[in-house]
Amino acid sequence: MTLVDGVKAAALLFVAAIAQVSVFSQLHVFGAVPDVLLVSLVAIALLRGSIAGAVGGFLAGLVVDTATLGTMGLTSLVLTVSGYWIGRYGETTGRDRAHAPFLSIAVVTVLYEVGLLVVHFVLGESAPAGAVVRSLVPAIVLNLIFTAPLYALVRRLLRSGEREELTAEVQLLG
Amino acid sequence: MLASSVQRSKPTPRPSQARNALIRRTVVVVLVLLALTLVTISFRSPTAGALHDMQGAGSTVLRPFQVAATRVAQPFRDAYDYVDSLANARAENKKLKRQNADLRTSALIAAAKLAKYPDYKKLLQLEQGQTFPADFRAINVGVISFPSGPFTHTLTIARGSTSGIRKSSPVVSGGGLVGIVSNVFPHTAIVTLINAPNNFVAARDLHTRVRGGIEPSPAGGGTLILSEVAKQQRVEEGDAIVTDGTHNARYRDLYPYGIPIGRVSSVGVTDTATFLQVQVQPFANLGSLDAVGVLVPKKQNR
Repeated sequence: MTLVDGVKAAALLFVAAIAQVSVFSQLHVFGAVPDVLLVSLVAIALLRGSIAGAVGGFLAGLVVDTATLGTMGLTSLVLTVSGYWIGRYGETTGRDRAHAPFLSIAVVTVLYEVGLLVVHFVLGESAPAGAVVRSLVPAIVLNLIFTAPLYALVRRLLRSGEREELTAEVQLLG
Repeated sequence: MLASSVQRSKPTPRPSQARNALIRRTVVVVLVLLALTLVTISFRSPTAGALHDMQGAGSTVLRPFQVAATRVAQPFRDAYDYVDSLANARAENKKLKRQNADLRTSALIAAAKLAKYPDYKKLLQLEQGQTFPADFRAINVGVISFPSGPFTHTLTIARGSTSGIRKSSPVVSGGGLVGIVSNVFPHTAIVTLINAPNNFVAARDLHTRVRGGIEPSPAGGGTLILSEVAKQQRVEEGDAIVTDGTHNARYRDLYPYGIPIGRVSSVGVTDTATFLQVQVQPFANLGSLDAVGVLVPKKQNR
């Protein structure tokens, strides 16, 4: 991952985090909220690997926790793990598969929601498991709706770096 | 040759792979530990400390971006709110229409029940009155179909054999005798009115004790006649006619003694006729009955 790619990804995650806390967090559909930050992070992690996913998740979580004045590090913790896992999936099997972004979003939405629930529960804060479970399916659907355009945007944004990365992996034989 | 398995050489890991894995794991572990540290510090001192101050400063820095994002999204949010309120208004309109229909139905049901109230009240008075036959009890029941024309002399009631109603049970209203149960189904029964052709009820003048039989008037019009009253006997206009009850142990009368039937409206006599011509106006309004009482014996072996 080049420096330019890193800057682009960071800018994208920053915008997504601000949009998430300012705009999308108020968009309640069937009790769920679309998470464009998570979708953007998954797209970056799939395209740029686990380290980019983990670092991006950590920084984006910091932005969210700072903007919302929540418990610092809480969102970072969950997003870091999510970004790392999806990045590993992308590195190993998922990167070139068409269904990878959608599958990743469906899985990571559940893991993210459950992870947040567990962390809140461990900290002794309000952890409404019933509400989280009820909103899981709408949340997955909403995130899946945003997956295709955001994945396409991220792919387009990081295209130059992708070419360089692909070229770098070619091995000369003989 | 083709079937023989070929041993594929084990892929040699690239030298950079092991290093990358180490870096990868180190990065994620460091980040997770850092996040946990931040969570711990933030959780232990949520209202004071360096982290709190940094968070406040960061929030201040981020505030303009949030405001900008909010302003950019405002038109879209307004559009969404408009569509949402429109959808909600439609849903609410549909819900209110449904509620209105339910209330209308409830009001109609209440009005229908209220319309039957006077009949039930009269039935209760009849049941509690002195003329009510002591060996019987009344099963009060609503009328669900009425005589549909001048040639129909039956009505349908909303209870049947499952409620204890039997064939040939007398039927009364608050005014007096209505008829007799002529057919019984599990949950409904048919009542033949006293003004039906070929109907005969043994009756007597309550004032003069004269006996006769109540039959439908050949002239129609819902009036009855007290037949088989000899000329020499005395029946006066205005006398009340009641059921006579049985006087024969072998052929029991279907109607117990004392059920009011009607009042004598006219008494005529001709030289050629053997009997008096006594017209009786029934107490029960046979044309508009909402509720009736079916008399069933208290002892089941009757």
